[in-house]
Amino acid sequence: MEKKVLLAEDQPEFGAGFELALTMSPADVVYIVRDSGIKGRGGAGFPTGIKWNLAGAASSDVKYVICNADEGEPGTFKDRILLEKYSERLIEGMAIGGYAIGSSHGIIYLRAEYPYLIPAIEEARKNMIDRGLLGKNIRGKGFDFDVEIRTGSGAYICGEETALIESLEGRSGFPRNKPPFPVNSGYLNKPTIVNNVETFCAVPHIILGGSEWYADLGIGDCSGTKLFSISGDVEKPGVYELPLGAPLKDLLELAGAKDIQAVQVGGASGRTIRATEIHRSLSYDDLPPGGSVIVFDSTVNMLDVLENFMEFFVHESCGQCAPCREGTLQLMNAVEDLISGDICSEESLNSYFRLAEVMRITSKCGLGQTAVNCFVDIINNFVDFTGECVSGECCCERGDQ
Amino acid sequence: MLRNPEEIVADGIREFGNGRERLMQLLTKVNEELSWIPTTAIEAIAKATGISVAEVYSVVSFYSFFSTEPRGRNIVRLCSTISCVMTGQDEILKALMDEFGIEPFGTTDDGRLTIETTPCIGLCDQAPAMLVNGEPHVKLTPEKACEIVRGLG
Repeated sequence: MEKKVLLAEDQPEFGAGFELALTMSPADVVYIVRDSGIKGRGGAGFPTGIKWNLAGAASSDVKYVICNADEGEPGTFKDRILLEKYSERLIEGMAIGGYAIGSSHGIIYLRAEYPYLIPAIEEARKNMIDRGLLGKNIRGKGFDFDVEIRTGSGAYICGEETALIESLEGRSGFPRNKPPFPVNSGYLNKPTIVNNVETFCAVPHIILGGSEWYADLGIGDCSGTKLFSISGDVEKPGVYELPLGAPLKDLLELAGAKDIQAVQVGGASGRTIRATEIHRSLSYDDLPPGGSVIVFDSTVNMLDVLENFMEFFVHESCGQCAPCREGTLQLMNAVEDLISGDICSEESLNSYFRLAEVMRITSKCGLGQTAVNCFVDIINNFVDFTGECVSGECCCERGDQ
Repeated sequence: MLRNPEEIVADGIREFGNGRERLMQLLTKVNEELSWIPTTAIEAIAKATGISVAEVYSVVSFYSFFSTEPRGRNIVRLCSTISCVMTGQDEILKALMDEFGIEPFGTTDDGRLTIETTPCIGLCDQAPAMLVNGEPHVKLTPEKACEIVRGLG
């Protein structure tokens, strides 16, 4: 069942959450967000309240509130919907974040693929200024806040928060070593919170409804609702809002998925499961709830899907660390050999599975660590090894192990 | 008439300032106005911001939407990710290549058009999709895509 909060037809007025937050102390705002149990809606799942608490405690005259609007995970488009229709809610959430941590500067880092959303965001900002909810000395509380839009330029890696910060600072999007974490030393070495569009959009609702109300929206230990973008072989592709922790099958029913062979949850970097596993839950403890769900029916050759995703990772690896830069290329080679028949037995893939494990452990950031997921899942779950050599020059001839 | 790169950079500096954190905005401005980033623009930006020419060039080369080679005044970016592929992206790409006589990432001789493929553009619910000069076009067929591109200035 859908449970609509962020996408509800009937919503509190834009700015109401911010107005209420301004009547509280910044520390109380942080505690409400912390107690709500909300975790980062971009997918990494770090508790938002803890991030804000650390940034709030960091001492600095200048701090930054950054919205990560660089959703680039294949199959994800939930933030596009939020930016189109709820940019005021987003800016409101950022302003609340600014008030909570003591920052006057908001930056929306928008992916270059969404330039047509800029007018909607600018209009939202203008409306907030007109209502006195952005600018100097807001509501006479001595708090200043404004946002600016900055765009990326077509690099998936810039969705990683430290790569995003590097990009904002005028550099290539190479992820930084952590620590220091952005909450202590982020944009221009100042304390910085980086949160997803959906996270900021949820914050005003949390302030208005209270932490307990928000926590109870989720199922079990999960807090709140979550947006999912679903596409592929479904009758009604689109964005659906469900309680976090809901079973995947609920989402599949809403979107009208039939004849399911495979479902990829969490995008190219997520998990690819069989139709027999759709009872599993969309939560940080089970299937990655980042936002992308792609359905493949029985006519799809899953090796073609894998090839498409490995091409993506080869293209998007930033090249900074060897396990990811070289590893993605090697896994791509293995996929091509599987397709051509030059690899025809599971044993021949052992070295590639070892490589995948090395990438998972040693890659510097999440890109290389998770790029292996589709390779491991699709080969384990969807490739049949018949033991018949179709190529005259396959692994058996070469004696590969 | 296209402005010269130094003029665009000077304009950008007035608009954004010359701090190194403004580099992406300066590059984006040049890239949008000229469809690519010529060496003269890189040199002008380096001089104004105090970043070395080599570093500015390395940043330009890192980002897929920037180009160090001339491109057409219209840029078509056809999504190449799986939801679009499953709904017929390859026939659209083929139709575009056939009609306009270029390969992916190629530019027509008259400088009118560059066609690129690009990873997920976040329009999977309306696949197959493409961006034309940044504007989204969705639920494409080969005929529809060719018609849109034919109509460009």
